[in-house]
Amino acid sequence: MSAPALAGLRVVDLAGDVGNYCGKLFADLGADVVLVEPPGGCPQRTAEPTVASGPAAGTALAFVYQNTNKRSVVVDVDNDADLRLLHDMVAAADLVIDNWAPGELALRGLDRDAMTAVNPGLVVTSITPFGQTGPYARYQSADIVLLAMGGMLSLAGYGDGPPTRPYGDQSYVMAGLFGAVAAMMAVLHAEQTGVGQSVDVSVHECVTLALETAIQYYDLEGVIRGRQTGRYRHAGSGLYDCADGYVYLFVGGVASNRFWGRLVDWLVESGVPEAAVLHEPVWEDLDHLRTEEAKATFERLFTTMSAGRSKADLYHDAQAHGIPLSPVNSPADLVHSKQLRAREFFVQADDMYRAGYLTPGAPYQLSATPWTLRTSAPALGEHTEQVRAALREHVTGGAR
Amino acid sequence: MTGPLAGVRVLDFTWVGAGSLTTKLLADHGADVLKIESSVHIDSLRLNPPFAGGVRGPNRSGYFAERNSNKRSVCLNLREAQGQALARRLAADCDIVANNFRPGVMERFGLGYEDIRQIRPDVIYLAMSMQGSAGPEREYLGYGLTIGALVGLQHLTGLPDRYPVGTGTNYPDHVPNPCHAAFAVLAALRHRRRTGEGQCIDIAQTEPTIATIGTTVLDYTVNGVVREREGNGHPQWAPHGLYRCAGDDRWIAIAVRSDAEWLALADVLGLDAERYARNRHEHAAELDELVQRGTSGRDAVDLAARLQQRGVAAGPVQNSADLVDTDPQLAHRGHWVSLRHPEMGTSRYGMPPFRLSATPGELRTAAPVLGAHTREVLTEVLGMGETELDTLDAAGVLR
Repeated sequence: MSAPALAGLRVVDLAGDVGNYCGKLFADLGADVVLVEPPGGCPQRTAEPTVASGPAAGTALAFVYQNTNKRSVVVDVDNDADLRLLHDMVAAADLVIDNWAPGELALRGLDRDAMTAVNPGLVVTSITPFGQTGPYARYQSADIVLLAMGGMLSLAGYGDGPPTRPYGDQSYVMAGLFGAVAAMMAVLHAEQTGVGQSVDVSVHECVTLALETAIQYYDLEGVIRGRQTGRYRHAGSGLYDCADGYVYLFVGGVASNRFWGRLVDWLVESGVPEAAVLHEPVWEDLDHLRTEEAKATFERLFTTMSAGRSKADLYHDAQAHGIPLSPVNSPADLVHSKQLRAREFFVQADDMYRAGYLTPGAPYQLSATPWTLRTSAPALGEHTEQVRAALREHVTGGAR
Repeated sequence: MTGPLAGVRVLDFTWVGAGSLTTKLLADHGADVLKIESSVHIDSLRLNPPFAGGVRGPNRSGYFAERNSNKRSVCLNLREAQGQALARRLAADCDIVANNFRPGVMERFGLGYEDIRQIRPDVIYLAMSMQGSAGPEREYLGYGLTIGALVGLQHLTGLPDRYPVGTGTNYPDHVPNPCHAAFAVLAALRHRRRTGEGQCIDIAQTEPTIATIGTTVLDYTVNGVVREREGNGHPQWAPHGLYRCAGDDRWIAIAVRSDAEWLALADVLGLDAERYARNRHEHAAELDELVQRGTSGRDAVDLAARLQQRGVAAGPVQNSADLVDTDPQLAHRGHWVSLRHPEMGTSRYGMPPFRLSATPGELRTAAPVLGAHTREVLTEVLGMGETELDTLDAAGVLR
């Protein structure tokens, strides 16, 4: 059995809600990630929704989820002894994940030059709403504001109604993910050369990476993409009714043309003989598929077949015919998915938050250095004394 | 080449969405990414709009271009044994081999993990099919949009009383999958540098997106609650939402997170602050109507700036033109870069959303013309000569 991929990597996680997921990615592959919290705990410990009952009632589920495998240290930056502890932690670290407002680290004596002087190989990854500098660097923000300003909300929502926010603070998730990729590259460089660096991640800029073709439509064809009108991107692509909810079908357009013939055959075979008309060559043309008439014709033919069938039945039958269709699942459906169960995606946790519950596990399976759930999200300050003692040893050891 | 991944070579069989964006992250930071393509089985993005000047052509798609900056395109016909053999020879000189085919496809080409390991024992092999390499649904097909539906994101996104509208894009392809995949590859690279050991990374393109909404899974497994759509509301804050402004389809996002923000908002919009001094969340719907009345007819950009001056989290919903033409923050960060392409002319690319101070990423070259680097790469990496290349070309191996 190999050591974990990130064994020996020391990470100081100053991250609040923006960037908390970044630290989790490091911790779950074996890095030693210490979450630095203010007295009273970081705000995301109490964000809704929370654990409903039991000894940990009131703890945010997002905190439970995003802080697996981390240790918790309480630091009151207004207290000199605590601040010294933070300085010692940074001096001994490989990576700091920072989402304090731009300039705040410097205010606490942790500017780049000071840190480099004691720890030249240190990587500091700062994840902030708009980046470290620039006209918006001091702007206030929230997920919905960042998704709006980054452009994602111009594409999301009802054509005849307001834009709508994708679920789950996705701008923060994106920033945590891009931040982790960037931090990992800088760590690789530092381990090879001994030279650390600063990484400046902007959440707003991260969101602009999730606009599909919108920028290119404008740049190349002068077209401003907006929200989709109605439920269909084009005939054969979109949200269709079925007996117990919806399915999402994606045939034609970017999806390979070969799926179209299979789809038509499937409809005919499933008791809709008049669907044979969809074999005509005009249905191979994306411009035709985008017309309202084509969308309506296809909807009528498809729902004749789908209306009386369940989303799960349609999913398995369509896939058996080699057609990209998925059910619109709820979180409960996921937990019962045979595929996810077979992959052992959900892992069992048993801790103060609840006895024996399932939690999302490895987002990637690494054959030599697997993702592991070693410890649940820490109690506030659970490791303050442990970290303090280890640093004392480190400092004394260094002086010897 | 410079960048933190200079010296790393990638044999890249990925195509369409998530795979291509994964290897782009590596290419934009100095890795030498050899994109193995074929005119026999062309990347469908090359055939999809938008096109430069609106004119179709396999080398004119912006959809393809955005995802393939800094890569070299090598055409190998993998249906031919000789094409497969060339791919294996290239693999011997590559640190990373990546694909997003269904399970079994690479094995049929003799390019599965076990095959490559024979040639390159310390290879980092990334497989990112839709459902992963094992399980009863491993053969199932999908794209970003169907993944968003399958894993619950669509169910959760939209207004509570309307159909689940989703993100309107293939979002799982754009960020959750490529970033998780790239992070795993980089972690594996660290492990190899420390131990000499390579490995196989298997990603099901469903699982990283579930990881982004993991809290909803816990709500079910810990609390027994199945989360539903929340529209633009927030579980704790109010007012919180998107409000119509002056102009055609112009909106402002406003999030009030504290009493101080509420007082400032009420002042700017002329609302009765006292009446909602407490329990704002209980009156969220009522407040939304009031705020909507207050923003109607006002300029979204101007109002957002005024609110920001007063310390309120607010911003306009920006479209592509706003981002490219007027956003001063993106301009300050140098986000937009113009690159020249032999057929497309000059077009715009977006920088990676982070800046490394010592080893920054760089957009060096536009997406490659199909097969533009076939001879260059086979000469440089395998030391092949003109005659040998001509023979292969004539046999249809290099198309």
